[in-house]
Amino acid sequence: MKFIIQRDQLIAGVQDVMKAISSRTVIPILTGLKIEAKQHGITLTGSDSDISIESYIPAEENEIVNVEQIEEGSIVLQAKYFPDIVRKLPEKTVEIESDDNLKVTIRSGKAEFNLNGQDAEEYPLLPKIQTEDSFEMPIDLLKSMIKQTVFAVSTMETRPILTGVNIKLEDNKLTFIATDSHRLASREVPISNANTEFRNIVVPGKSLNELNKILDDAEEQVEISVTNNQILFRTRHLNFLSRLLDGNYPETSRLIPDQSKTKIQVKTKELLNTIDRASLLAKEERNNVVKLATQGNNQIEITSNSPEIGNVEEEMSIQSIDGEDLKISFSSKYMIDALKAIEYDEVTIDFTGAMRPFIIRPLNDTSIQQLILPVRTY
Amino acid sequence: MKTWSEVAEVQPLASKIIMNSIKKGRISHAYLLQGERGTGKEAIGLLIAKGLFCEHKNGIEPCNECTNCNRIATHNHPDVHWIEPEGASIKKEQVENLQKEFSYSGMESNQKAYIIKDADSLTVNASNRILKFLEEPSKQTTAIMLTANGQAIIPTIKSRCQVIELKPLNPSSFQQQLIEKGMAKETAVLMSALTNNLEEAIAWKEDAWFAEARKLMVQLIKIFTEQHQDVYLFIHSHLLAHFKERAEQERGLDLLLLALKDILYFHIGNEKAMVFFSPNDDLLEKAAMIFSQEKLIESLDAVLHAKRKLKQNVQPTLVMEQLMLQIQG
Repeated sequence: MKFIIQRDQLIAGVQDVMKAISSRTVIPILTGLKIEAKQHGITLTGSDSDISIESYIPAEENEIVNVEQIEEGSIVLQAKYFPDIVRKLPEKTVEIESDDNLKVTIRSGKAEFNLNGQDAEEYPLLPKIQTEDSFEMPIDLLKSMIKQTVFAVSTMETRPILTGVNIKLEDNKLTFIATDSHRLASREVPISNANTEFRNIVVPGKSLNELNKILDDAEEQVEISVTNNQILFRTRHLNFLSRLLDGNYPETSRLIPDQSKTKIQVKTKELLNTIDRASLLAKEERNNVVKLATQGNNQIEITSNSPEIGNVEEEMSIQSIDGEDLKISFSSKYMIDALKAIEYDEVTIDFTGAMRPFIIRPLNDTSIQQLILPVRTY
Repeated sequence: MKTWSEVAEVQPLASKIIMNSIKKGRISHAYLLQGERGTGKEAIGLLIAKGLFCEHKNGIEPCNECTNCNRIATHNHPDVHWIEPEGASIKKEQVENLQKEFSYSGMESNQKAYIIKDADSLTVNASNRILKFLEEPSKQTTAIMLTANGQAIIPTIKSRCQVIELKPLNPSSFQQQLIEKGMAKETAVLMSALTNNLEEAIAWKEDAWFAEARKLMVQLIKIFTEQHQDVYLFIHSHLLAHFKERAEQERGLDLLLLALKDILYFHIGNEKAMVFFSPNDDLLEKAAMIFSQEKLIESLDAVLHAKRKLKQNVQPTLVMEQLMLQIQG
């Protein structure tokens, strides 16, 4: 294998794939970074077996030559040293060459590094990409879907399947659902050009957080495809793969109540601030409980009480109240998370009694739903 | 041992059981392979894993050439997980990682294999975590646990695995192998009593440390028989200086054990079984005068106790001193 590459391009690519490489992996080859040279470009791959990132540097792009003198081949290099070497090389171009004995030579100007590589055959094979089973969506939409759901995944390992986000694509609708069995967050968007359908795909929350970090806020499309055991997010130069969680995601559609006894409409920001203030006195070990009580005249009262510390009361005017009077207690943390995730000015909250879950939605919109279970208090 | 036919020579019964289940496509979801060091546990575990993933299987034999076989052999296959003790035991973090693995799908294929080396070093807590997986195996997952000490595996785990007992190596065939490698007969006999591992035996033979250790043990027996009041001095001036690491101390105690056993054999006239002394050694006769049969049995017991104490991190100097007092008294 041999090629000469623009150093800046290489640095950017290496930085992307390094995000997937962990030094604490059990599989020795995964401490390395795979470089594959083909006539049309260079692919860098990094993986910690949960997520894998591929970065592609085309040989020529917009009539600018990035890579020259390509002799095809592939090699795995120690990820501990390679990025620093590349960053500190003196010239604008880097020549990388490997021989049959897995010795790699990196040249730039007068500097020359000789590294021991590893056989690329040993590297895990990433699933082949089938573009016909995929669909596209804008990156910023995907990012907001992740942000609105991933916070609700469970952090407990007792039910591993709940540490992931359930992704469904049915009837041209893409749905993300996350729950830790005390709350549930779901987001739905229409997808027009999908020629595939799937359900019961569960992507680990950790992988989605990582994906959210690595995707730029550019107004580009991301192509998503699902294979048996991995999901692939593909942008122009980056492939992000994550393994899936094994098992059946619980059926969540029945959890969402379809009628309500009390319905309030409120300004998101005001409610968020009020709950936030009340939560100052709510204690962690008691689930951060705050109370909400309706008072007629479009007034509600938010209170919190910790006998050892003191109590707080705040009345707030809201847009409207319909239905029965209500007193309900819930975790302020869950409420704050849910309200932050809804990026709308006004929300409606549907209650069905003090012991039943309530649901928060943006005004006149059911694509975002945040379900929270109340806390029993006496 | 890279093929089933090679394994069959050493472990005919065990390999037949597994080979038949592979032939019939009835591989158990969990195996517990128990056998002493050098009985081929790891080789069998590797073969089972290769059999699951190999792309060009020839009957039941994996090809040992495809990328899957190669990567399993180098521990680089992403769907074959190796758990081996880091230091003395399998750490909590490793078990947590394993547990996480249980809930993820495979990386390249839909099947996964876990090979747990020295499964007896799992703590009870860790074992119970693994139990959960053994109780509800997910699709196409195979666990292979290897242990030299089947007694230390908790019964709840045992009952959920197919237990495969590997038979101990035949010492005479091992001796034969050593002699073929150019080892003198007496040395080969002693080595086969100490280890089942060919490479280890040869390495020890080359090692000056080992020769010195053996000489010191002969001296120790001599001092016991001739001027036993000097034993204390001897262990401080010579023994402790030579046996520094814990593994070395254990090896030393093994040698002492074999020496005492030989004296016992001399008593009962079982000269053929001797490994440490040659049957016509003068020292043997003298030692037999000092050590009665009962005393020998007590001493052997004391050595075994001392070994156990070393394992439990008792201060080695104290262990040695106590042992010498026990043998003297």
